[in-house]
Amino acid sequence: MAAYLSMGEAHRRIGDYLARVSRAISSSDGTALASLLAVSSVPASTPLTDALAAFPDFPRLAGDRFPNLADFLVPLLRTIHSHSLQRYADAYSSFEKAASAFLQEFRNWESPWAMEAMHTVALEIRLLAEKADRELTTSGKNPDKLQAAGSFLMKVFGALAVKGPKRIGALYVTCQLFKIYFRLGTVNLCRSVIRSIETARNFDFEDFPVKDKVTYMYYTGRLEVFNENFLVADQKLTYALVHCNPQSELNLRRILKFLIPVKLSLGVLPKRTLLEKHNLLEYADIVTSLKRGDLRLLRQALDRHEDQFLKSGVYLVLEKLEPQVYQRLVKKIHIIQRQKEPAKAHQIKLDVVVKALKWLEIDMDVDEVECIMACLIYKNLIKGYFAHKSKVLVLSKQDPFPKLNGKPV
Amino acid sequence: MTSHAAGSDAPQAEVIGAGQTNPSPYPPVPSGHQSWPSSTGTATVSWNYPVDKPSPDTVYYDPQRDVSVTGAESVGSSVPNAAHSTMGMENAAQSHVPYSNTVQHGYNPVDYTNYYYSYPQATNDSSVQQGANQHTGAAYQPLTSFQNSGSYIDPTSNTYYNAGGHQTVPGYGSNNYYYQNNSWNGGSTGNHYAQAQPYQNYTPSDTNSLQSSTSMPTNSLPYQQQYNQWPYYYNHSVPNASSNPATGNSTTDTIAVNTPSGYSYSSNQPPPPGTTSWKNNSVASVAPPVQAPGVPGPQHQYTNQAENQYSPAPVGPWSQNNYANQPLAFHHDTAKLNHAPPSNPEVQQKTVDSKGPSLNILSTNNVSENFQPNLQGSVTEDTSSERKIQIPTNPRIAPGLSMLVPKSEKKNLGADISKKPAYISVSVPAKDAKTAQVGPDSIVRKAIADGTIHTKNWDTEPLLTMPEGVVALTETGAKNSSPFLPTSTPRKRLKSRWEPAVDEKVTDKVEQIAKGWVNSNIHNSSDPKNKTGSSRNQGKFIQSQQVPLNKVNQRPAKKQKHSSQIQNGNASSDSDKEQDLTKYYASATTLANSPEEKKRREHRSKRFEKSQDSSLKSRNSFENNKDVMANMRTRRAVSSFLTRNSEEGTSLAVEDIDWDALTIKGTCQEIEKQYLRLTSAPDPSTVRPEEVLEKALAMVEASQRNYLYKCDQLKSIRQDLTVQRIQNEFTVKVYETHARLAMQAGDLPEFNQCQSQLKRLYAEGIRGCNFEFSAYNLLCVMLHSNNKRDLLSSMASLSKEAKQDVAVKHALAVHAAVLSGNYVLFFKLYKQAPNLNSCLMGSEGSVISGDDGLEECEIWLKAHGAVLLADNNGELQIDMKHFTCQSQRMLSRMVTHRLP
Repeated sequence: MAAYLSMGEAHRRIGDYLARVSRAISSSDGTALASLLAVSSVPASTPLTDALAAFPDFPRLAGDRFPNLADFLVPLLRTIHSHSLQRYADAYSSFEKAASAFLQEFRNWESPWAMEAMHTVALEIRLLAEKADRELTTSGKNPDKLQAAGSFLMKVFGALAVKGPKRIGALYVTCQLFKIYFRLGTVNLCRSVIRSIETARNFDFEDFPVKDKVTYMYYTGRLEVFNENFLVADQKLTYALVHCNPQSELNLRRILKFLIPVKLSLGVLPKRTLLEKHNLLEYADIVTSLKRGDLRLLRQALDRHEDQFLKSGVYLVLEKLEPQVYQRLVKKIHIIQRQKEPAKAHQIKLDVVVKALKWLEIDMDVDEVECIMACLIYKNLIKGYFAHKSKVLVLSKQDPFPKLNGKPV
Repeated sequence: MTSHAAGSDAPQAEVIGAGQTNPSPYPPVPSGHQSWPSSTGTATVSWNYPVDKPSPDTVYYDPQRDVSVTGAESVGSSVPNAAHSTMGMENAAQSHVPYSNTVQHGYNPVDYTNYYYSYPQATNDSSVQQGANQHTGAAYQPLTSFQNSGSYIDPTSNTYYNAGGHQTVPGYGSNNYYYQNNSWNGGSTGNHYAQAQPYQNYTPSDTNSLQSSTSMPTNSLPYQQQYNQWPYYYNHSVPNASSNPATGNSTTDTIAVNTPSGYSYSSNQPPPPGTTSWKNNSVASVAPPVQAPGVPGPQHQYTNQAENQYSPAPVGPWSQNNYANQPLAFHHDTAKLNHAPPSNPEVQQKTVDSKGPSLNILSTNNVSENFQPNLQGSVTEDTSSERKIQIPTNPRIAPGLSMLVPKSEKKNLGADISKKPAYISVSVPAKDAKTAQVGPDSIVRKAIADGTIHTKNWDTEPLLTMPEGVVALTETGAKNSSPFLPTSTPRKRLKSRWEPAVDEKVTDKVEQIAKGWVNSNIHNSSDPKNKTGSSRNQGKFIQSQQVPLNKVNQRPAKKQKHSSQIQNGNASSDSDKEQDLTKYYASATTLANSPEEKKRREHRSKRFEKSQDSSLKSRNSFENNKDVMANMRTRRAVSSFLTRNSEEGTSLAVEDIDWDALTIKGTCQEIEKQYLRLTSAPDPSTVRPEEVLEKALAMVEASQRNYLYKCDQLKSIRQDLTVQRIQNEFTVKVYETHARLAMQAGDLPEFNQCQSQLKRLYAEGIRGCNFEFSAYNLLCVMLHSNNKRDLLSSMASLSKEAKQDVAVKHALAVHAAVLSGNYVLFFKLYKQAPNLNSCLMGSEGSVISGDDGLEECEIWLKAHGAVLLADNNGELQIDMKHFTCQSQRMLSRMVTHRLP
C-alpha cells in the first residue's frame, strides 16, 4: 500500500495529523489530543504510518510546519513510525522524548485540560516500555525501558501530585507506577508514592475517580498481603471489590484472587459457587480441607498449585492456614469423642491425634503433636491446657474452639 | 650573586660541554645552561656536589647506588667529596660534572621554558639537574602551558628517572596548578603505569613499580605536611642555600637546588634535619617558582607555601629571580655556616659532614661523612647509569605504557614512560640501594626477575622500618638519629605502615628470600649496563647497612626519601623533599661507611632472613602500598583516559568507557595477601593471577587459623578475582568456600555477600553447588529475614530438580515446620541437617548446646516471663497463656531434650 502512496499524499496525511495535534493543543481539547497520542493502540498499518513510510523526511516536515512544537511532534512521528515497523525499543526512546516535551508544556498549563492526554501518555509509555523490554529480552539486551518509564512516570507524578486541580489525575499515574513496580518486582518503591497519596490533607481520597481508587486499593491491598497485614488487606481489597465495576469480570477475579486467601486466613470461607463463578477453583480444595480438617488435602492442594500460588504471592498465606486445619481436626476428634464418651469429651489424648494424623498419612509423633497443640493454644485456636505427664490435652468446657470471626490468627 | 651567576654560566657551559657529555640533549638548552655553567666553571667542583645534592632524588638513588659503588670504592668515598667534585668517583666524576651543569641549567632555565625541553634531552647526562629542572618545570608548566610540561615530561622522563619523579610530585603536590597537575598527573600516572606494567611484565613483584606507586601517594601526603612546615623549611632552606653558595656563589641557582640536598644531609640527623632537607627541596621548588615569577600564576601557588622565599626572589626575570634566591640562600647559608662554619668553607659535602656532626647525631655524622663521598660518587654513577638505563628503558617502558593505555596520548605516554622510569629509579633508591639499582636497571629487572625480587626483598625490609618516618618528618628525623641506636625493630614496624611498597617487596621476598643472595648476584649482573660494580656494591651496602640498626633505619629512610624526592620534584613539595632527603641522607650515611660495609653486609644477609620472617608484618604495609599503587594507577588510567578524550575532542560518558581495556592482569605471586578495600584502581603487581589465587584458596582451606584470618584472605582473593573480572567455576568455588566458612562462624553479613554473588554467578550458568546454596538461601531468607516476598521469589525460583535435592528438601521442610509451629520437627531437622544447613538453623535465636541446655531453657523462659510450675513429680509445667512465640520455640527445645 505504501508503495503506491505518492509523495504528495504522504505529505498531506502527515501534515493533516500534525495539524490535528496542533489544533487539539491550541483549542485545549484533551480528549482529541489523547486519541492522537494513543500510539500503541493503533493497528500496524494506518494511513498515517503508510505515509510516514513513504515520506522518510517527515521530521523536517514537522519541524518546518510547527517549529514551536517540533520537540514534541518530531519524536512523536518517529514513535509512530518505529512502532509501525515493530521497532519498539526505538519507539520507546522516541516516545520518551515526546513525552518529556509534553510534560514540560503540561507543567506550564494552568488548567488540567490535558489531563486525559497526560494519562494517555502515561499509559502509552508503560505499554511501549513493556513491548520494548520484550524486544530487548529476545535480542539478548538489557531490558531497562520499563525502569526508565517508571522514572519518567515519577516525574509525571511529581507534576500532578501538587495542590490544585491537577492532583485529581495523580492517582491514575500512581496506578501506572504500581503496575510497573509490580512487574519489575520493585514494590518497595511504591511506598513513597503511597505516602504521598495517603498523607495529603488537602485532597480527599474519595475525590479521586472511582476507577483509579479501585486500582489503587487493589494494589495496596496486594502489598498488604505481602506484608501479612491481613486485616488491612481485607479492608482494601474489599473496598476494591465493592467499588469495582460488576461488569468487569476480569477485575473482579483479580481482586478475589487475593481477597479469598485473606478471608480464609481470617476464618471466612467462600461458597463454592463463588469460586465457580469466578473460576477460582484452585481454592476449592483448600476450602474443603479447612472444612474437614484434612491436612493432607491442604498440602496436596498447595503442592498442586504451588507455582500459581507462588507467582501470585499467596502461597505463604495459604500455608499459614495449617493451624486452622489442625484446629478443625481436633474439633472433629472432640465431637466424635463427645458422642462416644461424653464424660471424657474434654480430655483428648494426644495419641488419638497422632492416630488421626496417621489416617491422613501424616507421620507425626506425640512430641510433635504436643508441640502443635501448644501452638494452637498459644494462637487461641484452642482453649485448654496440657497434662504433659499423661499426654492429654484438656479442653476448656466453654467454647474450646474459638472462631476467628475476622480476626487473624 | 648575579655576577657570579653570569660568570659561572659561561664557565659552566664549557664545563658542560666537556664534562657532561650529556651531549645531544644539551644542545637545545646549552646556551642558557652554558651561561650558568660558567659560574660553576670555577666552582664546578663545589657546584657539582651541590648539584648532586640538589637533585636529592637522583642523589639519593645515586647514593644508594653509590653506596654500593662506594662499597667497593668506599675508601675513597669519604675523601672524595673534593675528589668527586673534581671528578668525584670514577664514574661519578663525569656524571657529577654534567649534573652540576645540568643543575645549573635547570635553575637558570627556569626563565626559559625552552630549558625544560632542552633539559629533558640533555638531562640524560645530568639526572640531578633534571630533577631540579623538573621541579621548576612543574611550577613553570602551569604558567607557560601544557605543551611545555608535556615536552618537559617527555625529555626529562626519558633522560632522568629522578626528573620523572620530580615531575610527578609536582602534580600531586601542587594543587594550585590545575593545568599542570592534570598534565603532570597524566604524565605521572602514565609513568607509573608504564613502570608498573613493565615491571610486572618482567617481574610481577617488582618493587620498582610498587615503589613508584607508593612514592606517589606518599608524596602527596608529604606535601601537606611540607606546607605546614614551610616556614621552617624556608629558614632551613635558606641556610642550606647559603651553604651551597659557599661552594659556589655563582651557581646560586643550582646551588640552591644542590644545597638542599646537601642540607638535607645535615638535616638528616633530627627532625629539624628533615625540615632542612625539605627546605632544600623547597628551595629547589622555590627556585622553579622564582623562575616562574615571570609567570605570575605559578609563583602565587608556590607563594602560598614559599611566599617568603619568593617574595625576595620574584624579580622580573627568571635569572634575576634565581639570583635573588641565591642571595637569600646565601644568607641562609651564612646562618648555617654559623651553625657549622667548617662545612661552609668546605665543599658542600664537607659542609654536610660538618653539619652532620653538629646535628649531634654521632652515628649519622660518621655515616654522613662516609656517605657524602659515597653519595656523590654514587650519585654521579647512578645518574650515569640511570641515564644509560633510562634511555633504553624509556622506549621499553613506552611500549608497555602503550600496551596499558593504548589510547593515551603518545606524547603523554612517552613522557609518562620516561617519567615512570625516573620514578622507578627514584623510588628504588629511596627504598634501598637495591631498589635504586633496580630503578636504574628497570630494564635489567625486566630481564632478571629474580634480581628484582631480591631487590624488592631488600627494599621491603628497609621499608618496613621506614613507614613511620614517612608519616612524620620529624619522626623520620628522629628515626634517622635513632637508627644509630639499636632500635631498628620498632622502626621497622613503623616503617611498615608507610612502606606498603616495601611490603610488596616483602611478599616477593618471601619467595625470594630463599633465593636470597643469588638473586642479588643476578641483580648485579642486571645492573651491569650502568653499574654492575656499583649495583653489587649497593647490594652489599644494603646488607651491611641492614646489619646495624642504624643501617636499617637508614634504608627505610632512603626509601621514603626516594618517594619524597619524587614528590618534591613534581610539586616542589619541599616538605616531602626534606623528608626524603633526611631519609636519604641517613641511608647515604650508612652507605658511605665502606669499612663497616662488610660487616653490614653480613648483618644484612642475616637480616634478610629475618625480614622474610617479618614478611607477615610487612604485608600490612604491603597492602597499603598496593592501595597506593592502585590509586596511582587509577589516576593514571583516568588521566590517560581524559587525555585521550581531550585529544579526541570527545567526552565519553562513564558507560562508554571500555572497561575491558582497563581490566588488569595480576602479576603478584604472593599466595597470602591481606584484604584491603580498594579506593582506587588496582595495581597489577599487587593482584594475584588465577593460578596463584587457586593456591591461595588451597592454603586457606588447609589453614588451621581462625575465621578472621580466613575471612580476610578470602576477601582478598575475591577482590583479586573481581578486579581481574574472573568469573568462572573457580570464582564460584571461592565464594562457596567463603560462604560456608561465614556460615560456620555465624558471619551472616559476609555470608549474604557471598550468597548474592553466587546467585548472580549461578544465574550466568556457572556450575557450582547450586542446590546446596539455594537451600542456604531459603533458610537464610526464611529464618533470618522477615521479607516474605524474598522468600516467595526464592521458592518460586526453585526448579523441579532443585526441589528433589536433599538439601533443598530439607530447607523446605524446615520452612514448613516453622510455619506450622512444629518445633519438634524443626529440631529434628536440625539434627539431620545436610551440609551446613544446621548452621543457619542454629543461629536462629535458639541456643542449641549440650545437655545443660534444659536449665538454660528454664532460665531463659523465666527471663521471658514464662510461668513455670513444678507439679508433684517435679515436672515443670508452663502456663501457656503467657507464652510468646519465641518461648514456644524454647519449649519445643525442652521437649526435644526429653526425647530419647
